Formats: sequence, structure tokens, C-alpha cells
Amino acid sequence: MNRRRFTQYIGAGALGLALPRIGWGDDGGAPVVPGNTGANGRVVVVGGGMAGATAAKYLRLWGGTGVQVTLIERDPQYYTCIMSNLVLNGSRSLSNQTFTLTRLAQRYGVNVVRGEASSIDPISQKVRTLDGREFPYDKVIVAPGVDFATIPGLESPEAQAAVPHAWKAGPQTIALRDQIQAMPAGGVFVLTIPLPPFRATAGPYDRACVVADFLRVNKPGSKVIVLDANADFLAEKTTFTRAFTVDYPDIIEHHKGVTLNSIDASTRTLNTSIGSITANVINAIPPQRAGRIIQETGLNNANGARYAGVDVVTYQSTAAANIHVLGDSASTTQPKGGHVGNAQAKVCADAITRMLRGDLPDPDPVTNSTVFSPVSADRASWLSVVFKYDGVSRTMTPVGGAATEAGNATRENFDTMRGWFRNLMGDTFA
Amino acid sequence: MRGVYILVLAVLIGLAPVTFGQSPPQPPHPGRLLASNCFQCHGTNGRSLGSIPELAGEDADDIFEALLEFRAQPANANVMHVQARGYTDAQLLLIADFFSKQPD
Repeated sequence: MNRRRFTQYIGAGALGLALPRIGWGDDGGAPVVPGNTGANGRVVVVGGGMAGATAAKYLRLWGGTGVQVTLIERDPQYYTCIMSNLVLNGSRSLSNQTFTLTRLAQRYGVNVVRGEASSIDPISQKVRTLDGREFPYDKVIVAPGVDFATIPGLESPEAQAAVPHAWKAGPQTIALRDQIQAMPAGGVFVLTIPLPPFRATAGPYDRACVVADFLRVNKPGSKVIVLDANADFLAEKTTFTRAFTVDYPDIIEHHKGVTLNSIDASTRTLNTSIGSITANVINAIPPQRAGRIIQETGLNNANGARYAGVDVVTYQSTAAANIHVLGDSASTTQPKGGHVGNAQAKVCADAITRMLRGDLPDPDPVTNSTVFSPVSADRASWLSVVFKYDGVSRTMTPVGGAATEAGNATRENFDTMRGWFRNLMGDTFA
Repeated sequence: MRGVYILVLAVLIGLAPVTFGQSPPQPPHPGRLLASNCFQCHGTNGRSLGSIPELAGEDADDIFEALLEFRAQPANANVMHVQARGYTDAQLLLIADFFSKQPD
């Protein structure tokens, strides 16, 4: 086996230099679902993204055969947003971003149902799909991700196609990539950033960097104009201040505290609080809120009715019993992203498994968030934090008071990012 | 110090009862949920698919000592510093013990 012992890394600062491990092969090393652990019940998971898929896997892996898990997902495949900014510069393809739920069914016995969950009845405890099927549950986990507000001027499908947000990876990512590739030299790319809470807080800033890096090489003389609704960087301030002002000083203009009023897609013009701006490519990231089924089930009781309040010991909704909300739809002190959604899902799966055994959930859950942020085609920074449960405030509190960002954006971090991506996706979908 | 850690670990793990024949299901390892915070980067149960080091089957003392070394590094040196300082010694011992018992 071409594996290096982890102890070789201590003090070396050389994560990412290891030779790749040979894969698991034909399930040879995949963990096995245990027999009955004493936990018995039916759990329905709505949404097969990072949080939902992780929850389904770990309910089986930790709960055993007595926990029947049905995972309802609308789409045949999942496109992860993680590292998708590197599709925009042509260095990754959409196939690198694509994952399916096949292995959750094959390896762990998750009942994967293709369909769109349309409603949840908390009284009869059933999930219904658009095509009329019903799925009774003892516990339901809702993880639909985010929905996007419509920016004034972008009401029509044509306008939305002309101004892709690409904040849900997939065809929009390709559409935005193609627009960037078609820009002329000396062109203008405008990125607008909404107020939080939104998915991937650092993502807009690393997108600005990756696009600026691409334009510097391929479209000389171009500008990246960042219209930020916020008064300052929302994440990795040191990293992005350095990138914007040292790496891309003649390319990126960062305008803070800007209100976006509307966009005219036909003329590619933005109406903003600092005036009218015309661009070659507009990438407007819309304000976000929890997925539609959260609103329709009445679980949106936090952040001005945009997100779902939860008890972070179990991720049970504060609005309804036996309904748990995970990932980007949940309102917590944690950020919104795939890595932390995976961690939340394990806390929830563990809590539900214990409850289905007649036990109490772990009273002191710990989660973590780590993201890697590419700032060019070959350098990245990172942002990392551990959250502990605080019984007084009943929130997850960051150890050390806040997340820590990388000292420098480096090639080494970029290599580590690839290893992180592979294991994060494996831990979630395989 | 090591003696104290081993004592703490023995108490935390509860000197799990040995069972024979038809018996109730084994309770999960008490470090499992904590250790699952490592899986995103190090793979499910510490079995890494890529360049990030494998933890499954490594020696518990080695893992624990490594975590203490990471914790002593400068704040923004690496992700492992940030992660290691998020846990108490007792929690790190549980995490190390969990990985040492996973098949590699």
C-alpha cells in the first residue's frame, strides 16, 4: 500500500505530499451495516445533498438494520458547489462535481426514492411526493438546501439564463463559465454579494479571485467589479484583502455596502446605490432562504422567516416534533456549507439512533467546519473552526471565539484541498 | 501524565464488559461521534481515499501525541492546529482510541 503513516506529517507542514492510497476496490474496505443495534424505526430523509446523504449513510451505519431509511431526492445526480469555482476557469469539469446516491443504496441499504417531496404532515407523520406517494415516518430529516430570491429585473427565464448565479452548481456553472470564456479583452465582470445568511460565506470572494486570475492571463485589461452588500469581508478578511490588493490590484475593485436595486439583462446593466454599471458578464448571487418545503411546512421560524430554527443537540425543528432540519436550511451559529452540513448530519444521525433505542441524545455535541478557498488556479487558503455545544445559550459556539484562517494562500493548501474534497465526498456519498 | 490519560481513558470507555454468545448489541465506542468530525478530511472511520493521511489502525498513543503536537503549533499554521485545540485531552484520547480500533 502506498500509504504514508500520519506521524510522518508531524511538524513537516507537508500535508498533500503523500502518494495516493489505492481505493477501496469492490467495497472491500467499505464499512458494513451492523445487525439490529436496538434502534428500530422508520426515518425519511428529504434531500440527497451533502447533509441529507450523510445522514442517510450514518443512520444505517450507526443505527443498523432496524433503522429503515428512505431518502427522497428530486434530481438524478448531485452537483457539489465545493470547488465549483474552478469549473469557471476551465480547470475542472462538471463531471468532477457530480455524485449520485447509488452507493448509499448498494452499500448501506438506503431506500433511495426518486421524486419530489411536496409536503410533510406532522400529525399523521407522512411525507408526500408530487406524484402522490406517501412515506410514513417516525422521524423525518429535511435537508433541501437553499432557495434563491428573484432579483428585480430577472423575473423571466430568459433574464435568469442571461444572468446565471451559479450558486447551485450544475448547468448554471457551465453557463457562467461559457460567458467568462467569451468575454473580450478589457471586459468587465461584475459579481454581486448579498447580505447573509447565505451558502458558502467565503465563496463569493474566492470566486472573484479565481475569475480575476483567469482574466489576467486570458483577457488582459479586464476588470472584476465586486458589489458587496456587506460593510466588509464576511470571511477570511486577511486572505482576501491580500489577494484583492496585492495579487489583483489592477483587476479587482471591491465596493462595500452597495445595494443592488435591479438588473437589466438585455443591456447587462446593474442599477445600484452607487450608480448604473454596465458589464460584459454579470454574476449576481441572490439573497437566499431555506428550501421551499421548509416554508410550506411552517418550519421557517428564524432569520426573519427565512430559515428553520433547530435544537442543535438533535437538529429537531423548534416548530414541530420529530422533524429535523439539516444543512443550509437550518438556522444555527454555524456557517452554511457541505463540510459542516456533513458534521451536523452525523450529530443528528447519532441522536436519532439513540432516541430510536430509547436513549437520550449526546448532550455535548461537537461539530466542525473547514473550507478551502482557491485564490488562483493553483493556490488556496483555508478557514477552520470547531464548534462546541453551550448549554446556557443552547447554541454551537466556536472554540477560540471565531474561525481561524490560513496564514498564507499556498500551493500546498491547494493540494490538501484536493485530498479534502475526495474524502469529504467519499464520506458523504460512498 | 501518560498514566493519568490511560486512567481517564479506561474510565471513559467504561472497561467495556466482555460478552459471550447471544448478547445485547455492543454499545458504540464512546469516541465515535467525536471522531466522525475527522472523517471529512481523513475518510470514513479514518480510511483515507486520497493524499490526506490515514488514521484507521494507527497506534492510539501516536495519534494522541500527534494531536498534542499540532495543538502546540502557531494558530494559523495548519488546519490540524485549529482542530486539535477544539477538544479536551480526554476527548482527544477517545478520538485516538477510536481510530486505533478501526480496520486499516
